[in-house]
Amino acid sequence: MSKENSKPKLKMAVYWGAACGGCCVSVLDVHEKLFDVTANADLVFWPIALDTKYADVEAMEDDYIDITLFNGAVRNSENEHMAKLLRQKTRILVAYGSCAHMGGIPGLGNFSSKEAILKQVYLESSSTINPGPVYPETRHEVKEGVLSLPEFYNDVRTLDQTVDVDYYMPGCPPQTERLLEVFMAIVNGSELPPKGSVIGALDKGQCDECERKKSDNKHIREFKRPFEIEDDGETCFLEQGIICMGPATRGGCGCRCIEGNAPCRGCYGPPDDVPDPGAKMMSAVATMIDSDDPDEIEEIVSQIADPAGTFYRFSLPGSILRRKINTDI
Amino acid sequence: MEEVRIGVYVCWCGNNIAKMVDVQDVAMEVETLPNVVIARDYKYMCSDPGQDLIISDIKKHRLNRVVVSACSPRIHELTFRKALEHAGLNPYMFEMANIREHVSWVHNDREEATRKAKSLVAAAINRVCWHESLEKRSVEINPATLIIGGGISGITAALEIADAGKQVYLVEKSAQLGGFASKMCLTSPFMYSTTQMIRAKINKVMNNPNIQVLLNTQIEELSGYLGNFTTTVSEDGRDLELKFGNIIVTIGLKAFDPSVIENYKYGILPDVVTSLEFEGMLKAGKIETRDGRIPRHVAVIHCVGSRNATYHDYCSRLCCKNALKYANMVRAAIPGANIFEMYADMRAMGNGCEELYSVTSKKNVMFLMFDQHNGLPEIRKAGPKDNCDMIIELDEKLSGERIEVPADLVILMVAIEAHEEAKRLAQVTGVSMCGNQFFIERHPKLDPVATTTDGVYVAGSCQAPKDIPDSVAQARAAAARVLCTISKGNVEVEVTTAEVNEDRCCGCQTCISVCPYTAITFDEEKSVSVVNEVLCKGCGTCGSTCPTGAIRAQHFTDLQILSQIDGLLEKSMELKEV
Ligand SMILES: Cc1cc2nc3c(=O)[nH]c(=O)nc-3n(C[C@H](O)[C@H](O)[C@H](O)COP(=O)(O)OP(=O)(O)OC[C@H]3O[C@@H](n4cnc5c(N)ncnc54)[C@H](O)[C@@H]3O)c2cc1C
Ligand code: SF4
Ligand code: SF4
Ligand code: SF4
Repeated sequence: MSKENSKPKLKMAVYWGAACGGCCVSVLDVHEKLFDVTANADLVFWPIALDTKYADVEAMEDDYIDITLFNGAVRNSENEHMAKLLRQKTRILVAYGSCAHMGGIPGLGNFSSKEAILKQVYLESSSTINPGPVYPETRHEVKEGVLSLPEFYNDVRTLDQTVDVDYYMPGCPPQTERLLEVFMAIVNGSELPPKGSVIGALDKGQCDECERKKSDNKHIREFKRPFEIEDDGETCFLEQGIICMGPATRGGCGCRCIEGNAPCRGCYGPPDDVPDPGAKMMSAVATMIDSDDPDEIEEIVSQIADPAGTFYRFSLPGSILRRKINTDI
Repeated sequence: MEEVRIGVYVCWCGNNIAKMVDVQDVAMEVETLPNVVIARDYKYMCSDPGQDLIISDIKKHRLNRVVVSACSPRIHELTFRKALEHAGLNPYMFEMANIREHVSWVHNDREEATRKAKSLVAAAINRVCWHESLEKRSVEINPATLIIGGGISGITAALEIADAGKQVYLVEKSAQLGGFASKMCLTSPFMYSTTQMIRAKINKVMNNPNIQVLLNTQIEELSGYLGNFTTTVSEDGRDLELKFGNIIVTIGLKAFDPSVIENYKYGILPDVVTSLEFEGMLKAGKIETRDGRIPRHVAVIHCVGSRNATYHDYCSRLCCKNALKYANMVRAAIPGANIFEMYADMRAMGNGCEELYSVTSKKNVMFLMFDQHNGLPEIRKAGPKDNCDMIIELDEKLSGERIEVPADLVILMVAIEAHEEAKRLAQVTGVSMCGNQFFIERHPKLDPVATTTDGVYVAGSCQAPKDIPDSVAQARAAAARVLCTISKGNVEVEVTTAEVNEDRCCGCQTCISVCPYTAITFDEEKSVSVVNEVLCKGCGTCGSTCPTGAIRAQHFTDLQILSQIDGLLEKSMELKEV
């Protein structure tokens, strides 16, 4: 056996909160490199792949786990409970992926309310017949005993709005190569960046890596959606009237979307010094509108399909805006 | 970060603030906020003892930040920044909360006003925590000056500067110097000969080695900034590059074209002339009708295009006294003529003008008043039986009668308008215009010759309708300002400029076209944007545009503004709950 194996192995956990599962799969995406991972780390808790129980985690000593990749937002009481539990049991807690980092796609629920969401899902959706109507209950007594379900919150929160977070690894999901780099750095005992840092991403925005031709000619008279233009494959999307979140988004993903001829959606989150990427990008886009006439400006702005979802696709709970307050309107 | 130690000073402004805001309560409450070492209230913070209070506290309590809650920073920010400097603190470690214009003067509920004052002060305290020391910067001044417009204003300024031994480029659009003053005969109210006045001046300009006169020349484009401007003009078909440190814009006025006023039939009846055309007659020494007769009835109509909602709301200032001048000159030239002054209000103000009015009224001149709101006088061609060429019909206000007045010659006192070049030049030089296209000075009372663009000054009738003495005074003032900067050799420029963090800028170039002062360029090699600190006015537009957060508007960073908002909200929420 090599010397390396005599080194004590890292204990690693991967857990999901309110997430789609993609982040957990991205860990699997390391493919054969998984052997490098398991050579250096014991996966002590990973619900998508291992049958470890919550009780097993509860039984661990504090700080027993060296590193936890927590993906998913905090949307219900179970997510919150597990976030707190894992924080207690983990030395290095990483908010892994857009949802844990900024709220992600589930975070768009903050444009609605608990009541409206439950009503839509359990009553109004066209595939639902619910004459009761019956809604999910957190406690239900049956003769065998009490059944419980986690409580669904009104708010979606980021991981760091729930517990103290050591690092953030952005992406929907994070690029697997970045994960490996970070992992190997930890394994090799490299010096870690200051607590609170974003890791596995660049300091500059996407445009720095983006190979499309860009200029200061960002004068938009008509906002378009990608299918509405004949993309020349070369010119900056913004200069073609397509909203690209690139400049308000950290590089590091390898320009995955742009390489695929789709504009950047912003999953890698904002660079430092941008507390609210949605607001930043809106104010940037506002300066590109090529008109001085208020009516015409309104007309041009109205062409932006789903502005809330476009500008805050991944970042609503973590932004200054955080949520819609009056959800009746 | 060093420990933040803030001193807060709540001013009474005599009774101005204290009557509506419980200043003692404000000071007491904010003293409990984090980082506040001392909070006081005082009767007049801007007074010497008020400033001394700050200075001694800074030393005694080792303060490193100061908040003064008083009037508008426009009035006293500089005063207090200087006080900080006296105490050895960087002047930018200061923030002002305006509880006078924003609170005491606009509210009438003392309790609510006090609550709002507390929020504003809390916001300022929060903000000042994040202030950073900024260093003053200065740029060298090129001692040459460009003057655009060779009327009496431009000529005066040019001579003033050239006589001080400095180079002047005097650019005139037309083929000769002199402007309107050289088209005039005698000046009101003292009847000096303009020819004598202006000829001598023009000769002096032409013979002054420090003045390069460029006739038939226009400024199309301008680059640079205070201290170092450049432009290219063409002289005899060759391109000539001019470099200069300051600019005085003196492009003057334009006379209103009265043909748009139907009642006056200007352009239709040959003997209806403008004041400008009449000056031509006076200069030629002949007051006569188009067909060479001596007019027996001469009417002068005031306010043609002025003080009238359809044309110009403003008063052109010159016309009434000029109209009196014309009455006198007609009386002298044609002793037997009937002279009618048709005025809306007699506004001959200024030195010697009221005297001219009373002298004129003793010279058998008929003063008839009309009301602009009740229709203007109407001129028509006289019939064959009338013993005159034209008849003017008007509602005479003082008698209340509708009357008819005979006329052989009608002089229209046309309004003074901004020059048709004003708009273009405003763009070239970056000077702002008012709604009437006159240039706007930096401050209407306290800074009447500077503009909001550093290094660009205005003088004469391009800034508002002005007579010769006012134009000359302003031109000399502008020259004095320019000479000040030249003799100093350098000037302090705005330090609250924007800066690009090259480690963040992703090269999207969104910022470049938003800068109103074209201060941002793109460095292709490094693939980042660059702000020219000297051109930047710190307007902040780029800072709010940059989607990457790479541009920081110094002294207006996101952190400073957001913490200010936090302070405002926290305090107001907290107080509301109580
Ligand atoms: C009919 C009339 C009678 C008046 N009578 C009297 C009076 O009795 N007493 C009195 O005190 N005042 C009188 N005034 C006012 C007087 O004419 C002005 O106060 C004076 O002319 C203002 O001088 P100025 O140099 O500011 O402007 P101007 O005389 O208008 O000179 C401006 C000069 O700038 C030039 N110019 C314009 N655009 C450009 C450009 N883009 N580039 C280069 N050059 C340019 C013009 O060709 C002109 O030579 C009278 C005005 C009028 C119209
Ligand atoms: S805005 Fe988008 S398309 Fe344009 S340069 Fe940036 S990342 Fe590329
Ligand atoms: S907007 Fe910001 S990121 Fe884009 S080029 Fe300008 S400074 Fe750089
Ligand atoms: S702060 Fe204003 S003036 Fe300065 S570079 Fe930015 S946009 Fe231009």
